[in-house]
Order: sequence, then structure tokens, then C-alpha cells
Amino acid sequence: MNHLDDDAELYALGLTERERSAEIEAHLAACPDCRTRVIAAEAAAAALASTLPPMPAAAPRRAWWPALAAAAALVFATTTVTEGIAVRARGAEAARTDVALTAIASSHFGHTTLSADPGVVVKALYARDGAWCYVVATGAPRGAHVMIRRGTATRDAGALGDGSPATLFLRQPGRADEVSIVAGERVVAHGVPVY
Amino acid sequence: MARADAGAELIRVEARPMALDGPAFETAYRAHAPRLRAVAYDVLRDRDAAEDAVHGALMRVWSAGAYHPERGPLLPYLIACVRREALDAVRGSKRRHLREVRAGAGAPLAVDETAAIDPIETRRVARALESLSDVQRDVIVRAYYGHRTLAEVAHDTNLPLGTVKSRLGAALRRLHTELTEGFR
Repeated sequence: MNHLDDDAELYALGLTERERSAEIEAHLAACPDCRTRVIAAEAAAAALASTLPPMPAAAPRRAWWPALAAAAALVFATTTVTEGIAVRARGAEAARTDVALTAIASSHFGHTTLSADPGVVVKALYARDGAWCYVVATGAPRGAHVMIRRGTATRDAGALGDGSPATLFLRQPGRADEVSIVAGERVVAHGVPVY
Repeated sequence: MARADAGAELIRVEARPMALDGPAFETAYRAHAPRLRAVAYDVLRDRDAAEDAVHGALMRVWSAGAYHPERGPLLPYLIACVRREALDAVRGSKRRHLREVRAGAGAPLAVDETAAIDPIETRRVARALESLSDVQRDVIVRAYYGHRTLAEVAHDTNLPLGTVKSRLGAALRRLHTELTEGFR
């Protein structure tokens, strides 16, 4: 492949098409000159980014929110005891993300890439003590479920969310012996966490 | 973890080839997430979508297996990855509509303080932008702060696409030179 020329800067600015970006990244692995150029371009782009304002915190809650929050908390408590959290409401989706990130940022965790069908990438992040498991999938069929096997018992932990990537955060799944993603009757991905 | 320790840990993490996993991923995430969210939110104007973009970008880096120091400093690399992810999301989906709707909503009160803007750095970048020629500054501001595609910039400025590309390339290179040589 020829050198990147202006594509080095365009890539750093996010202005190349996705297919071209993949070619560029492959080229960079083999070409120190272009790598130097892209690194310089990314440094300049990062300087531009440094002037961007921080992401705002969640918008102030409206008056009807407390009642809804109380109801959600009850549902949350119930599902936490019995099953994974697979709520659909957008607010709850955001809460799930925050819970997941907080868990990830505050504990030691491992991760595994599940063996998956072509085009599907599934990672499971999990607390080494079994306190939580966060499943992140790209390319999985919509509505696919996460199955957790412990010993000989397998249970349905709930459906992946609708986001991209699709995620499911499980509280207290214990130390799973196997995590799999099932769409209909088909296993599209499976893997074994190592604790 | 104390802030100084976190800094030392980050330097240690970034100084060696690593799979972005376990503690290394955790450290990098903890240190960089606020800035990465700011980058994604700038494009998407939606908190959930911004979180998704940060996740998606980290997933991609992570799926690729390893981050090597020769690929460059981690934060600028991740910023570029997150911006690409966010632009892909906004261009590839119906979220553009969502963004436009939400952009008109009232500004929330609080912000993610850990990503607060550094006024000195902002002034430094502003000076570097001022050092560009008018035509260079115009394309870079349209593309970067206006989130316009190459085709959109070409359309808006009435320039051929090739000219837009070469002008953007030259502008960013000049910016880098100014920023690295600039403490004047």
C-alpha cells in the first residue's frame, strides 16, 4: 500500500470512511513513517479536543421523577435478587451503564473473548469474586439472551440491551463456569471465564 | 487510589506493550474516560449515545488485542478512536435527528468536573489556530468543531474535494508544528 499522505491527518480528524480507516490502521502497523505522521496528527487533534467542554451531568430531574425512581428501585431490587437486569426503559439503560462502569472502575476484573459466529464479537468482563459480570456484544442478533452456567445448572440471565454495542450487566452472577449468548435455539457465542 | 499514585501507575501502564485488559484497562479507563466522554458528547449531544461511543471505541481497541507504545501516546490515540466512533454513530444512524432535537434543549447544570477545560491549554490551542492562514483555519474549524464531513466542507466552501483534503492535511500539520514549537 502507498503511504497515507493527507489521509494521515484526515484519519486523525475522523474524516476517513470506516473501510478506509481499517486499511489505514493495518498500514500503520507496518509503516513507521506513516505512524509518525499519524501520531503527530493525533496529538494536534487531541489539542483541539482539549478545548471541548466536559460532558454535562444528567439533566435535572423533573417533578414526576421521584415516584418513577421509587418504582424503578423496587423493580431493580427485585430483579437484582432473582435475575440479571434487562430493563428496557432508556433511563434505566443509562443507569445500567453507570452501574457497570462504576463496577469496572472500582474492582479487579478479568475478561474473556467468547468464541463467536463470524461477525459477532462478544466480551465478558467479570469481577474475579463473582460480584458482577458485564457482557458486551457487537453483531449479536437483536434480543439474544445471555446464559450463565454454573456446574450443571444453566440459567437465562436476560436479554442483551438494544444499544450498540449491546450490553447486559449482571449483578451477583457468581463465578460462572461458562457464559454463552443464545439467539432462539442457537448458541452464537460461548466462553469460559478464568478467575 | 491517590492521584499521584494513579499518575505513576498510568505512566507505567503506557510505557510498555500491553493488552488493554484487567488493571491496565481499568487504569487507562479511569484516567481517560472524562475526556473521552467529552469528545463523544461534543459530536453526539446525547449522554447515552456518548457513553456508547466510548464503550464502542474501547471495545474496538480491546478487540484488536493489544496497544503498543509505538502506536503513540494512549490518550490522543483513544481520542481519535472515540471521535471516529462518535462520527460513525451520528452519520450512520438516525441519531442525527435525536442530536438535533436534543441540541436545542436547555443546558444541564453540572458537568463532569474531571474533564474541565484547562484555560492555559485552550489559549495555547487558540493561538495555534490563529497562526493558521484564514483558509486553513476555516476548513479545520468547519470539520473539527462543526463536525462536517469532507463532502459537506467542500459543499459549504465551494471547493473541490481534493482541495479540502489537502488543505485540512496542511492545516493540521501546521497546527502540530505550532503546538510543539510554540511556548513563545
